[in-house]
Amino acid sequence: MLAGLEMRRAKLRFGLLAGAVGLLVFLILFQQALFGSLLSSFTGALEHQSGTVLVYSAEARKNLAGSVILPPQQAAVTAVDGIGAAAPLGEATLTVEAGGEEANASVFGFAPGGPGEPTRLVAGRLPEGTGEAVASREDRDAGFDLGDTVTSVKGEVPLKIVGLTERSRYSVSPTLWVTFDGYTALRRAANPDAKAVLPSVMALTPAEGVSPAQLATRINDQVDGVEALTRSEAVAQSPGVAATTTSFQLILGLALVVVALVIGFFFLIITVQKLPSLVLLRAVGASTGYLVRAILVQIAAVVVGGLVIGAVLTYAGIAAASTGLPISVDVATSVALVAAVIVLALIGSLFTLVRVARLDPADVVSRQSLGGLS
Amino acid sequence: MPALELTNVRKTYTSGDAEIVALDHATLSVAEDEIVALVGPSGSGKTTLLSISGGLLTPTEGEVVVGGRDISGYSAQQLTEFRRSSVGFVFQSVNLVPFLTARENLVVVNDFGRRRGRKEARARAEKLLDELGLQRRMDNLPGQLSGGERQRVAIGRALMNEPDLVLIDEPTSALDTKLGEQVMELIVSEVKGRSTAAVIVTHDARMAHYADRTVTITDGVLAA
Repeated sequence: MLAGLEMRRAKLRFGLLAGAVGLLVFLILFQQALFGSLLSSFTGALEHQSGTVLVYSAEARKNLAGSVILPPQQAAVTAVDGIGAAAPLGEATLTVEAGGEEANASVFGFAPGGPGEPTRLVAGRLPEGTGEAVASREDRDAGFDLGDTVTSVKGEVPLKIVGLTERSRYSVSPTLWVTFDGYTALRRAANPDAKAVLPSVMALTPAEGVSPAQLATRINDQVDGVEALTRSEAVAQSPGVAATTTSFQLILGLALVVVALVIGFFFLIITVQKLPSLVLLRAVGASTGYLVRAILVQIAAVVVGGLVIGAVLTYAGIAAASTGLPISVDVATSVALVAAVIVLALIGSLFTLVRVARLDPADVVSRQSLGGLS
Repeated sequence: MPALELTNVRKTYTSGDAEIVALDHATLSVAEDEIVALVGPSGSGKTTLLSISGGLLTPTEGEVVVGGRDISGYSAQQLTEFRRSSVGFVFQSVNLVPFLTARENLVVVNDFGRRRGRKEARARAEKLLDELGLQRRMDNLPGQLSGGERQRVAIGRALMNEPDLVLIDEPTSALDTKLGEQVMELIVSEVKGRSTAAVIVTHDARMAHYADRTVTITDGVLAA
């Protein structure tokens, strides 16, 4: 009763706080969505392919573009005990004509049915022949939609888009998935003098009872000249990803701290302002729990209001900003951030709650009569 | 059974090495429907006695029995429940919650312990305010009320939970003489009308005649 009545009589004050929290929540959720989209545009192709271990050439330093696995290395890798399946995975940046315009596209060549297949197919089917490709859905408006035909500029190889993936781009470019044979044909058409088309990495899945980390360790121990990484390591250690992740996490961390401080200071200020009333209520029989509950209800109302405002702004922001980099909200991460906001709001309010819990009802007379000894 | 019985109540404070005696072996009995005026100069221990009687302070020594309940050894939690159910307070100045209307200032007391249902509590609050001449001011916030009206709302709040004892601290100090007399008349009429006991602390001897009995306190010592 008390909490609701106070908020009703101070709509502007609580509304402004909810608005401020909402803006911070928007900042957090939008940045997270932007970061997630940026990351998935950078490395989504690696994250959303079926190989749980990727083997790079050692000199590539975890850079897919610089990695080539030579036939002896392929043989040595596949000979390691604990491999369930192995397949070549090629990656190249090619200029293609799509929708009447030229664009640089990342082309992944995978062995159908083997590790390295795209796992986020959202429309159509995987390619079956050399003239077919799966494209990233995020680029469908740029001539990469289902049924469209894109043509590699060098060699003029047409590719019909037979399927679409989501969150599976690479290097912030339109990304095409073709069979390894199709990849070989594209590379040969672009460079007819090439003697052989080699895979960039080996995509592996471990045998039953072997974890990806164990398999990667075995390969690194047993095969020279290669570096095996689990899929998550390959994503996290891709060039630039670690620095980008750290920067975004720092910004997010600061925003979360600001949420805690804003809520903490606000409730501390309004609690200090109404201390005489709280002491009076304690004196006439309100328990500490009653007053603490009233403040918690207000904190909950402000946080829930802030979260709703933040969520609405985030969706509006994403809708408005999606013309450039495709941005989407990752529900699990957003839920975790919302939980973090709630926990931090409570932490920020702890000082206020402790202050209320320590109120001395006898102050009701000492406040009014200078010392309470009259 | 007396509404209030203080036996050899002592309250001391320490300030450095010195011991300050605020109340010195006070013994006082207030009958069930009696109004006692506690008169004394500033710093004599009036408010300390009132606070101990109402469970706001605990005595250093002695026994405090209110409505048959010995509260001398009560925990903070027990004292909160005691204040909620057995005593009504009217304080000197900070008496009302500023963001609650006159009616809500009464109903909120019921909300602490849910003695009555919401509707019943609201009806009682309205009845009390009506009796106190505030039927048109029920939806006003304290800031919209005069000093006398605010004191009347506080009286209503003190009576809301049908207490055994009403404790009133300097009810007229912020009011002019005429308004002070009106408030005192109202207090006496409301308290007497309910056969409830009351202790009224005042430094204004002119207000003492409204009580059945006057007790004087000087330097923490009671004198009948």
